[in-house]
Amino acid sequence: MGVNLMHDFFQQLEQIRHLKRRISLATLVNTLGTSPRKEGAKMWVEEGGDILGSVTIGGCVDAYVIEQSEAVLAEHAPRLIELPLGDEDAWELGLSCAGTIEVFIEPLSAEQSQPFDFYAVLQSHIARGASGALLTCLDGVTMGAKLLLLGDGNTLGSLGDTRLDQEACQAALSHIDQGVSRTVSVDLPHRTVRVFVEVHTPPATLIIVGASHVAMVLVQMARPAGFQTIVVDSRPRFATPERFRDADQLLVGIPSEIVKTLPLSSVNAVILVAHDYKYDLPILRHVLSSSAGYIGVLGSRRRGEGLLKLLQEEGLAAEALQRIHVPIGLDLGGRSAPEIALAILAEVVSTRYGGSNLSLSQQRKRA
Amino acid sequence: MTLPYNATIFEHFRHPRNYGALPSPDVAYEDVNPLCGDRIRMELKIGADQLIAMARFRGDSCIISRAAASILTELVQGRPLREVVVLPQNELVIALNTPLRPARMKCALLPLHVLQIGIGVYLREC
Repeated sequence: MGVNLMHDFFQQLEQIRHLKRRISLATLVNTLGTSPRKEGAKMWVEEGGDILGSVTIGGCVDAYVIEQSEAVLAEHAPRLIELPLGDEDAWELGLSCAGTIEVFIEPLSAEQSQPFDFYAVLQSHIARGASGALLTCLDGVTMGAKLLLLGDGNTLGSLGDTRLDQEACQAALSHIDQGVSRTVSVDLPHRTVRVFVEVHTPPATLIIVGASHVAMVLVQMARPAGFQTIVVDSRPRFATPERFRDADQLLVGIPSEIVKTLPLSSVNAVILVAHDYKYDLPILRHVLSSSAGYIGVLGSRRRGEGLLKLLQEEGLAAEALQRIHVPIGLDLGGRSAPEIALAILAEVVSTRYGGSNLSLSQQRKRA
Repeated sequence: MTLPYNATIFEHFRHPRNYGALPSPDVAYEDVNPLCGDRIRMELKIGADQLIAMARFRGDSCIISRAAASILTELVQGRPLREVVVLPQNELVIALNTPLRPARMKCALLPLHVLQIGIGVYLREC
């Protein structure tokens, strides 16, 4: 989930708890074939009939999930439903081929505080820049049992079996690292149990160095796309709250020293748009030794080659230098500041999801 | 290819002298050229008789500014504070030994400006 959606989810969950409302929470836990939504997508149905979110992109499949959610509310027992999407469903949902989705639906009420407590712990954990996962048992008599696994290895709760807890946590750790939610199968002596690993990571952050006009538009575009933004510059006249109203943080000082204090995890992108080697070089030296998911530098091809050559002469490995996107951005053909910002954001998103950087229609024609 | 600056400038840019931080400096001051964004922090350790025992600098700045800061730390080492606080700009410019366009003079003089303000603050507080 993006920063706003995740924030909304936690907020609304807290509100439901506060108002003592009963809801049925539906989570997309597995997709086979093409699906328009990723595992972890949520929808809930309140006892008053209100609906929030979706597990597909609407249509008859969501309608069926709503019916099932109402039944879960009435029976107050969780259920896992498998929805084979027929060709007509697939067509309606915009899928290229039919597939199957699995949705886990569970009742939540203020009287059963554990899920609310777990989400509250997760929320504060994420706010401190760490990751975690909520594991839910999808099979057997302990269906719906939950275990909270935090990125530091600490756990709360149980899936109902000590061995299952250990094996599931082991399997979940790699998914936390990758930042993706998945259903995993855990083999126990006499049975296989499926567990949904719902991964929550700190919101992806764009660390933008250079409070330029490109940075101003980039910050505006980033928030609706689900990114937090940190703007860094040494010039207080440029890095002002008036110019960067939407920035989550505005940091003025020695840029290379500031960047060293920021989290450079795989979900974060470092975007150098100062167009100034005095910032670019020391920051690149540092971020190349980090696991930052994206590193981009504004500049012409010639300028980029100059920067890379300098870094290479300093002994940085060619493989490390390959990580630098310079010139920055996808080739959209635009030249204005908003167009450049759009090209940068497009490349960040494409890198994050392993996109092809081709237009979808082009891909269709090639297929 | 003709290089725009002499070898001394490039040498100090690539291998700056006295780059880094001092533990508990007596003088510490940081400033920025508000338009180009050169930002330099100068730190000094003051020894007996108000002599500069150690000088360090750090920051993100252009070739000229970084080289000037590096050369300046060497120029002031061991000299009395009262002498450095009025060090003529020309002494640093001569030490840079390269023709500077008027537009780049601010870059060259930023480290000296920062250092002299820092020393001024220190002397007032002493």
